[in-house]
This record gives sequence, structure tokens and C-alpha cells, in this order.
Amino acid sequence: MNDLNRRLKSWPSWVVLLIVVASVLAVGSTRSAGPQTQEERIDAVARRVACPVCNGESVFESRNRASRAIRNEITDLVRATEATDDQIIAGLENTYGADVLLVPKATGFDALIWVLPAVAFVLGVAGLAVAFRRWKLQADANVDPTDADRDLVAAALRDRDE
Amino acid sequence: MIAASLNSAVGRAGLMLMLGASVFGALAVLYGIRKGDKKLLRQSPRYAWLALAGITLSVVMMQRALITRDFSMAYIQQVGSPDTPALYNFAAMWSALEGSILLWAFVLTGFTAAVAWRFRKRTDDVLVGWALIVMFVVTAFFAMVSFGPADPFSNGVAGFNPATAPGPNPLLQNHILVLFHPPILYLGFVGFTVPFAFAIAALVTGRLGEGWLLETRRWALFSWSFLTIGILLGGWWSYEVLGWGGVWAWDPVENASLLPWLTGTAYIHSVLVQERRGMLRVWNLSLLVATFSLTILGTFLTRSGVIESVHAFGDGPVGAWFLSFFGLIVVVSLGLIAWRGDRLRSPGSIDSPLSREGAFLANNVLFTVFAFVVLLGTLFPLLVEVLDDRRTIVGAPYFDRLSMPIGLMLLFLMAIAPVLPWRKASTELLRDRLFWPAWAGAGALVFSVAVGATGWAPLVAFALAGFAAGAAVRQIAIATRRQGWRGFVGRANGGMVVHIGVIMIAVALASSNSFTHATRLQLEQNVVQEWSGHTFELTSLTENTSQAGQSALEARVVLDGSKTIVPAITTYLNIGLDVPTPGVRTGLTNDVYLTLEQGSKPGDTSVSIQAFVRPMILWLWIGGLVMAVGTLLAAFPGNKRRRATDPVSAPIDTGRPDVQRPEGEQEPEPAGVSV
Repeated sequence: MNDLNRRLKSWPSWVVLLIVVASVLAVGSTRSAGPQTQEERIDAVARRVACPVCNGESVFESRNRASRAIRNEITDLVRATEATDDQIIAGLENTYGADVLLVPKATGFDALIWVLPAVAFVLGVAGLAVAFRRWKLQADANVDPTDADRDLVAAALRDRDE
Repeated sequence: MIAASLNSAVGRAGLMLMLGASVFGALAVLYGIRKGDKKLLRQSPRYAWLALAGITLSVVMMQRALITRDFSMAYIQQVGSPDTPALYNFAAMWSALEGSILLWAFVLTGFTAAVAWRFRKRTDDVLVGWALIVMFVVTAFFAMVSFGPADPFSNGVAGFNPATAPGPNPLLQNHILVLFHPPILYLGFVGFTVPFAFAIAALVTGRLGEGWLLETRRWALFSWSFLTIGILLGGWWSYEVLGWGGVWAWDPVENASLLPWLTGTAYIHSVLVQERRGMLRVWNLSLLVATFSLTILGTFLTRSGVIESVHAFGDGPVGAWFLSFFGLIVVVSLGLIAWRGDRLRSPGSIDSPLSREGAFLANNVLFTVFAFVVLLGTLFPLLVEVLDDRRTIVGAPYFDRLSMPIGLMLLFLMAIAPVLPWRKASTELLRDRLFWPAWAGAGALVFSVAVGATGWAPLVAFALAGFAAGAAVRQIAIATRRQGWRGFVGRANGGMVVHIGVIMIAVALASSNSFTHATRLQLEQNVVQEWSGHTFELTSLTENTSQAGQSALEARVVLDGSKTIVPAITTYLNIGLDVPTPGVRTGLTNDVYLTLEQGSKPGDTSVSIQAFVRPMILWLWIGGLVMAVGTLLAAFPGNKRRRATDPVSAPIDTGRPDVQRPEGEQEPEPAGVSV
């Protein structure tokens, strides 16, 4: 049984696992999610547009008159024209100004908001790498505990338990 | 008029007592420590009782003013109304700035008193003394804010007509959760003051071993748990009340509560490395300082008016107070850490990235980056305004886009970390221990694809969730096989229960964000319509005026031929505001969520309804419950194991002769701690 368990967990089964995961993932992520309804498209666009008079809510969430007006505008554009989501949003930006955009642009000063998280992540990982390297050098410099060390620890543990 | 002056006079007196007791408490303990006066130190809990008595008196008077509708007070003019039902009138205390500070002060003083009681036998210990000083100083700060710029007992304008009183914000008086969400959230926010106070005390006294950490482990755990529950209740409230069908909008106020949660979560993980190995001391102190100062910064952001938010309240001088206090905390804490730098150097080293310690460090990097992203996104509009002089908004899509990869990486870590041993793992060991969890992940993936899930991001999330759940279940299974029911308690096992709760929430978020269907339904009376696997039939559209001061337009919609749900629009007559209340049918696999559109009249035979079908929402709340239960289990003492303070073979070399001692001898063994 133990032997079976060990053989089961050997590399070939992991390769099988990998193949299963990769193929199922490929099938699942490439097949169509079914047609998006017009309402869902309208919602998707509305989520990316800020309500011009309220505090940071999207047109999708807020229920006031200004938001409803923009929502109707999006609805008309989705129903009556061939415009893509991005074109609709660009049009709204022309009408209402850049502060109706809920997602900051990736150009100019606003690019910082995209760059800084990446920098933070890289710094964090690099910091860890440096720390591990230092710890490794430090550990290499230390010799293994001697038998005398181990006796000392055993004695101290015995003392504690009594 | 006599009652009026009584409420505000006695309420103010209570605040004065709290302020006086805190200030004198801090001074007395400081004096006692300087002079070594143990008698004086032993009296310190009395100041905490006095402060608690003071703030309790204020809260009672505020409630009395609310109940008696004492319109001579400005606060009652703002949030009181003869029409508010009793329960919401009770909750009206925290429905605006001044009262919310009052509630904060109440919870904080409660914590101070709890610390004083818990450590009443050790008040002559300098560490406890300094911790109490910090608690008293923070308490005094809140008493001053409440006494000064955010005075809940100030006099209202003369000649106020109660008939025009608005009552609390309509959104704060139509769901029972408003009673629980703020107080529980505050328990979480304020609770982190205790570990922070002990951290500062450890820095001041120089007793930087693991003693202070063990003392405050449960405090941190419970605060974290309350913060978790508070945040989830906020999401629930938003879902049940706001009518847009979501639980989280990345609003600045929501972010302000998430920030300390993120750093707090990092802390309760990395603290284990310090307990076990005596390492990461500076890092853990920094995380605690960050957690506490972020609660203050969050309070500043949401109560100063500098950031636009739906639930920001108030602006004015309070902001300056909180900003100054935030600055003070950061400067003092960083100064202390720098001053004690030499004693904070950790002995020992972490052997391998592929170890429990390594996983905790990776967890910390991810949570810190997450916190940075949330902070950056929240403050960015402010930066742009200051530096570039234009208005910009950072909305939910930004946070969604960045939190997705971080969330996936965290799930992956949750799968790997629990099977990693301390110090070092071999690939053979990983291959052995991760085998079944990995297949659990593959099974979850196959199952999701079979039931129709699409898109790579949610599929990866489901696979990793299965993987992580497998790892958590494996740990619990092994522990229960060895120790019976005790396999559920203790830090590691309870922690795995918490992980299972987190995984439920992750799955719920991934599926509800990816697979929600929405449409606008035009329902005709008594005509059955079908959409997204459900049938809808409008039976009536009526007006309900049973609640004074309100008129509600209610649509009765029969769902799937059986259950009636009632989306409504409530008009608050005094304010002239329409508030839609969604009708929700909750199910194990999906929720049906209906919101009435504006523009219908009672008696109409046709109505426009916004409909959502959101999968797995229920699992958010179940996951929250599992997390709470898991935290309780984790707080129970587990089986006896080697402590951080036990001698080990690893050489301890701090490079300084005066601190070159085994860990356990650095300070007296903390009493009553056996974890």
C-alpha cells in the first residue's frame, strides 16, 4: 500500500495532472461564454464611466438623473450603432471631459498609477531575494551544531519539562 | 428645555470625565514608572474605569437624547426624527460624524478598560505600564476630538421645527445590518490599538523579545476577526440596500477599512515567524504601526472631506486633528524603531525560500503590495489634484484589474504554504504532500468546466481554490486523525478553517464577478416572462404608507411560480428622496436580485425592473461565518509544542555581548500565556 502510494505520487502522475489541467483549462477558456446580451454590454460600459455629479460612483451604480442620462446615451449607442465599447467611452470623454473615466489612462502622469504597483511588486520580490541570499551567506558561515551543542539543548529541554 | 440642557450637560460632563481620567491616567502611570512607585502603578486601572464610566455616561445621555427626541441638540436636529423606528433611532447615534466618533471613543475606552482588567495583576510591570500610557493617550485624543471639533452635544439652532427633522440618512434606516456593521467594524479598527500599544511599550522599555507579542496575540486575532466580519457585513449591507447588485465598490471608505485588514492579515501571519524563530522583529513592529496608523488615516480620509465618497461624512476641523495624530503616530513609532534599531536585529536566518517561513514572507510581500495598490488608488486623485491640478477618478475597474492577479497569487500561496515544513522542504516532500491537494484543484477545474464556467481567470481561480482547499483539508484531516477533536483547534488547525472560509469567499467573488447576468425586464401584470432560467410574473404594484414619513411603491413579482419577491422604491417624504430597495431571492447556487426602475405609479399594469442573476453570493456570507468560527478555534490553545522561547541548536549571535543570551532569558516569562 505504502509502495503503491509512493509510486502513485511519482513524477509521471504529476505529468498526467499537468496535462489534464492544461487541456481542461484550454477547453474552458477558449469556448464561447454565450452571446452577451445588450443589457450586459450596456452595464459593462456603464461600469467604466463615472457619474459626473456624485462622489466616485460609476454610472452603473448610481441612480440619479445625470447617471440615467448617460446610461440612456450608452443604451442608444449600443442599440442603434455599431460602435465598440472603447469608441462609446471615447465619445463620452469628448462630451463630458476626462473626469468621467473611471479607469485612469496609461499615459502621462496617470501612468504612475499603473507603474508604481509593478515597481512595488518587483522591489518586494527583489528585497526577498536579497534577504535570502544574505541569510544563506550567513548560514554558510556558521558551522553545524556540535554534539556538545545538542547535549546542551537536550539538557535545557529536560530542565524545562521537569 | 430642562431635559434638553440635561442631556447635553451630563453628556459633556461624561466626556470631560473621560478626558480627565485618560490624561491623569497617562501622567500618573508615567510618573509611577519614572519614580518606580509601584503603589501608584497599581492604581492605574482605576483611571481606565473612570474613563469608561465617563464615556458610558455620554453614550447613555446621547441615547436618551435620541429617544426623547431632544431637538435642542444640533446632533439630534441632524439625525433625529419623530418618525424613525426605535431600532434605527438607536443606530442613529452612529449615523453621522459626531456620533460615530462617540461610538469609537466608547469602544476604545472599553478596550482600555479591558487591558487594565486583563493585566490588573501586573500593573507594576513597566511593559504593561507603558502599554496603558499609550492606550490612555489614544483615548485622550478621541476624547479631545469629541470634546472639541466633533462635539456631539453642541446646541442646535433655536426655533427648530421637529416636523421638518430629516432623521438619519435614508440608506441608514432600512436595513437591520446598520445596527451591527459599524460597531463590529469599530471593534476591529479599535482593537488593533492594543497590540500597537504593547509594541510601543516594548520599544520604549527595550524588552523586544517575544513576550509582548505573545501577550497580544489573541487581541490581534480577535480584532482581525471583527474587522473581517465588519467588512463582510458592510458588503452584505451594500448588497441588500444599495440596489446595484454588488457587494464591494472600491469606494474610498471601503478601501479605508480594507487597508488595515490587509496589513493586519500580513501581521497575523508573519508574527508566527517571530514567535517561532525570533526573527522579523522590525518588520512585525512596522506592520502593527502600519495597521494602527492606517485606521487613523482612514478615519481622516473619510471624515475630512478631502476624498469624495458616497459615505464620507463631514468635513472641517476634524480632518486636521486626525492628520496631525496620524503624523504623530508615524513619527513617534518610526523614531522609536530607529532608536531601538540595534536591539531589533534578529538572530538567526531563514534557511530556504521553500519553507514555512519563506511562504509567510511571500505572503507578506503580496499583502503589502496589495495594501500599497489600494492606498495608491485611493490617494491618487488627491495626488493628481495637488500636482497636476485636475480632477480624476480611480474607480472599481482599476482595483479589480490589479487585485485579480494578487488574489490568484495569494490563492496559490494558500495551497502551497500549509504543507511546507519550517526551515526547509525538499521537492520529494512537496511532491508527496501536494499530490492530493493538486488533484483536488484539478477536480475543481474539471467540475467548473463541466458546469459551464468559461474564461481563464475564473477557471484558474477555481482550480487554485480547489488546490488550496485540498491543502487545508489535508492539514485538518491529519490533525484530527492524530488528536481527535483537538485537530480542529489551535493556531495551525483553526487557521486552516479560516483558510477554507477565505476560499469560499474567493470562489464566490470570482463567480459572481464573472458570471452575473443582468437585464431590464418589462413585466406586464399576470403575464409570465422567462429569462436566464427563471420565470417572473408581476402580480401587483401598490403603494404602502404604513410607515410614518415614508411612502413605498412595492412591486410583487412571483419568481419561478412560487416565491414572491418585493422590490420597492421608498420615498422619504421629509427629505423628498427616493431610495430603491432591491428584492432578493437567495439560493445556494445563485441569487435573483430585482430592482424597481423609477417612473412607475401605483396601479400600473406594467413595470420596468432591473434583474440580476448572481451566482454563489450566499457563499460570501457562509465563508465569513467559517472564518469567524476558524478564528475562534485558532484562539483556543492548541496542543503543547515547542515555543519560540525554547532553546534550539541554532546559534544566536547578535554581535553584541550584552544581548547575547538565549531567547528565553531576555525577559521574564509572560504570565498566563500558554500558547
